Amino acid sequence: MKKLLSLLLACLMLAGVCGAYADEALEPVTLRVWFHGSTVTPDASEKVMAEVNAYLADKINVTIEPIWGTWGDFDQATTTALAGGDEVDIYFTCNWSANEYNKYARDGYWVKLDDMLDAYAPELKAAIPEGIWECAITNGYDGMGIYGVPALKDTATQNCWDVNGTLLAELGYDVDAVCEAGLDYYSDEFEEMLQAAKDAKGGDFYPLLIEPAVLERMVTHSSIITGDLNGANVLSYYYDAEHPSADIGSTIVNKFGTDEFAKFAARTYEFSQKGFISPSCQSTATANDYRTATQATAEYLFGTQSYAFGCELDFSNARGIDVRMVPETAAYMDCTSGQGAMMAVSITSKNPERALMFLNLLNTDPTLMTMMNYGLEGFTYNTNDDGTITFIDDARATYSPWTNGMGNIRILPPTDAQGVGFWDSFSEYYNAAETLPYGGFIFDASEVETEGAALANVFAEYAFNLMSGAVDPAEVLPEFQAKLEEAGINEFVSAAQAQMDAYLAG
Amino acid sequence: MTKKKNLRLNSVSVGAEAVIHVILAAFSLCCIIPFIFVLIISFSSEDSIRAIGYSFTPLAWSTEAFSYAFDKLPQIWRSYFNSIFITVIGTVVSTLMCALYSYVLYRPDFRFRKFFNFFSFFTMIFGGGLVPTYIVCTQLLGLRENYAALIVPLLVNPFNIIIMRAFFKSSVPLELIEAATIDGSGEYNTLFRIVAPIAKPGVATVALLNALAFWNEWYLSLLYIKRNKILQPLQALLMELQNNVQYLNQMAGQMGASAINEAAKMPSQSLRMVLVVLIVVPIACAYPFFQRYIVAGLAVGSVKG
Amino acid sequence: MVRKPAQTRRPRGRWLDRNKKTLVLMTMAAPAAIWLLLLRYLPMGGIVLAFKDYKVNPRNPSFISNLIHSKWVGLKNFAFLFKTNDAWIMFRNTIAYNVVFIILGIIIPVALAIMMNEITKKHVAKAYQTLMFFPYFLSWVVVSYFLNAFLDAQYGMLPAAQRAAGEAVTNWYTTKGPWPFIIVFANLWKNVGYTTVLYLAAITSIDTNLYEAAAIDGATKWQQVRYVTLPHLRTIISILFIMNVGKIFNADFGLFYNVPMQNGALFPVTQVIDTYVYRAFMVTGDISLSSAAGLLQNVLGFICILGANAIVTKIDADSSLF
Repeated sequence: MKKLLSLLLACLMLAGVCGAYADEALEPVTLRVWFHGSTVTPDASEKVMAEVNAYLADKINVTIEPIWGTWGDFDQATTTALAGGDEVDIYFTCNWSANEYNKYARDGYWVKLDDMLDAYAPELKAAIPEGIWECAITNGYDGMGIYGVPALKDTATQNCWDVNGTLLAELGYDVDAVCEAGLDYYSDEFEEMLQAAKDAKGGDFYPLLIEPAVLERMVTHSSIITGDLNGANVLSYYYDAEHPSADIGSTIVNKFGTDEFAKFAARTYEFSQKGFISPSCQSTATANDYRTATQATAEYLFGTQSYAFGCELDFSNARGIDVRMVPETAAYMDCTSGQGAMMAVSITSKNPERALMFLNLLNTDPTLMTMMNYGLEGFTYNTNDDGTITFIDDARATYSPWTNGMGNIRILPPTDAQGVGFWDSFSEYYNAAETLPYGGFIFDASEVETEGAALANVFAEYAFNLMSGAVDPAEVLPEFQAKLEEAGINEFVSAAQAQMDAYLAG
Repeated sequence: MTKKKNLRLNSVSVGAEAVIHVILAAFSLCCIIPFIFVLIISFSSEDSIRAIGYSFTPLAWSTEAFSYAFDKLPQIWRSYFNSIFITVIGTVVSTLMCALYSYVLYRPDFRFRKFFNFFSFFTMIFGGGLVPTYIVCTQLLGLRENYAALIVPLLVNPFNIIIMRAFFKSSVPLELIEAATIDGSGEYNTLFRIVAPIAKPGVATVALLNALAFWNEWYLSLLYIKRNKILQPLQALLMELQNNVQYLNQMAGQMGASAINEAAKMPSQSLRMVLVVLIVVPIACAYPFFQRYIVAGLAVGSVKG
Repeated sequence: MVRKPAQTRRPRGRWLDRNKKTLVLMTMAAPAAIWLLLLRYLPMGGIVLAFKDYKVNPRNPSFISNLIHSKWVGLKNFAFLFKTNDAWIMFRNTIAYNVVFIILGIIIPVALAIMMNEITKKHVAKAYQTLMFFPYFLSWVVVSYFLNAFLDAQYGMLPAAQRAAGEAVTNWYTTKGPWPFIIVFANLWKNVGYTTVLYLAAITSIDTNLYEAAAIDGATKWQQVRYVTLPHLRTIISILFIMNVGKIFNADFGLFYNVPMQNGALFPVTQVIDTYVYRAFMVTGDISLSSAAGLLQNVLGFICILGANAIVTKIDADSSLF
């Protein structure tokens, strides 16, 4: 591998074609690329890929064989393919599903890209901001380095209150003033507004529509430590809500052992007892269905939302009400958002350098990105005079890869719904996000795997009920705490903190 | 002896039979009600479900979820074909292999009977796990992106072998085999002409179990059919849609505004039940075919053979 | 694949003649035997995963080379199962539920099969039997939604009835008490129809002349059941019993994961080995952990199966599994 690499590098240097690789010397190769979250029918794929491959043949003499991974089957199918050493060149990867970027980098599944990026993908290297590359650096099999290409998408996190402005106005509040002042979960005003909605709409109406884990992070201003237990976060790091990059002397702590958490759980339980939170929100299995349904019917006053740029307009249209997003925290960037969607080159790839050339083109060439993401003009969309596009809904339904998962989506043409100039404001918003004090830190939990496995089960037993207000924290929290300690939370936290200290020192 | 006469001669009293009817009817009702419930929900409007939850008496009826499913699944008829094809071929071949192997185990005069018995039984307890099996299938046997990948990995089930052997043992007297051998009947002839017809209920039961296994299979498609998705069986196709819907519901926040909107538009709750209806109805229709043989000898006094 | 008969110096033709029967029977066993060898025995090498820290060998990233390349870690992969004092709860739950399932799972289907056999109207019996099979078609996820329609705190029919009657509303998903019964009932409901078919098929293959002879000898219906039907079912009952004992450390994941709607408050009565391992796997993504847990379950199950088989052999050698 290394030998091949240096040989190729040497060849390139000699030929003096650093960056300009589009010469006739390229052999034709086929690349298998595994995408994520796609809804693509075989017919549509064939049609689009014929054009894509014709285009690619001219550019880099590559043929793409896509594997259209879907949302649910992806975790198991990909992990099996990876462990089984399937011949796939490029995998989608990220840090929020079983297809964990950092873990697979550590275990040797991804090719380290640092040197190759400069040689084969210089435009790509330049197109992605330094801060995002920072997040891609992980402690992989061949040492610290970049093992995947991050997608330039919605790369920041901002927790907002999702406010039903229409209802708030009905209750006699000045919506603009309330939104301007911001909302405080612990304030009396917050409770009064909920009570007013409850009184006005009756006993079956539950004004507080929550996603418990999001609510907890939002209210306590804690971030997700990348590498914490996937879907069962037990670590907290408190940041400054107004200036997320400010160092306020935080350390990694046991999420459930702090005063902040106790206060949050007590408040949530209080709201639950007052009938502000639906019992359906308090059952893991029904919570998601209920939330989607209730948002659609606008039967809520306050909700929680991890902000996506421009979503208040979409929501207002979809729900037929005036949806306001009231920030609880400023937008911040960390590895959780930075690693939200990536493409990694598999160690089984026979042509890693060509895979990178493809990724380079995909992320910098609007024609290719548009074809891959939106399909073909006249088939899945039409272009309007102002440069926006309008989807042809029936055809688009047969060819919808996950837009944000493909790569640099900021080079796509805006849709008619987004409007001219959308991507500029999009970039402006996300580029303004501050980075948390721990920057690109990634926790490697493999040394405390036994603890992690036990903690995940203790978490499943207590955390959701506490965070949704279903049980009384005065009774349950001490019991939960004792079990966490038995499962090794202290070892888990100190391992994370030690790694963070080392990271910040080095 | 006529059937009628025999029936009254040797059967439980009318009172006892009435009690039996009550018990069986009550249990049967218990079993079918959930399916009726599923049917009702699949035809309920999503608004009704959002307003009052799942209910036997929805506020409004709708076929919205069915049209959504058919819209989202242009491949559905091809997948129906795939499922039927796989189920038919798979059932025939697997039942045949099972009958052959079980027959050998049933023969007490077979020298390696004990060895072969343990050879299959042991795999019921121990297995190599998912990844090693996946590697053998894809790299050694070439089972990927083809129909064989959806059939071969399910062909043998040690449980069925043991069941079939038990049926042979309890219904076919050994003397019959000896007599057949003396008459010059070859082993294959004895199995297919003498043993199998007598053990028909057993063979039909195993065939039914096999058919269900093939019909319900989706995991193999998930593992082995990635690029050639035109081969996806129905169950896998439905599973995929279901998973997409579930993920959109669950993670819409992570996927941007367009995903949240998509999630809001889906009839996700009635859709779940529509998918059940689509997969259950065909196999439920095929059920009586197997049942004919299983229940053939049912009720005391029916004439055998 | 199969042990070759001891070396023989006799002429080939005569050897073939003498072993003709064995050879023919072996051709019958061959298809399934080859299948088992390739798809079951060959992958068993993967069992060593349970004792390894699986990592890729970048020099040669194939599974076998990775496996050899990975470090031995002894019993480390098993440690997570015993990390907390709650371990015994999941072992207890797994075994206790399985014991109940095994006992009731024999008595009820046998009783139903016998009853069905006594029904004089054959088409009615057929109808019952078809209906009983329906639960088998429904996945546990669907069953869980059905149950939820009754128990859901907001929309459920039982809480609605309680509200209508002015009583305090029970939150079923955080009240442990009724769940052992719900779980047992759900399991029986789903599997009884399926097992009944097996017993029914065994009963229908009983030679009816036996009943007629018994009736002529003056045997009552009970006596016929006792002396004709049950002895005939003995083989299949023993076999199903032994096989279920072998799975006593394996729980039906779908039942225990989906039906209680994954509510943590119910863990003391619903957490089983398989749900614990699943949650551990979801956060670690480590195939070595699930391999280790699976191996432990299988070894313990194998020991139990040997015990059960020995007991059955003692009682009735004909009904043993091997």
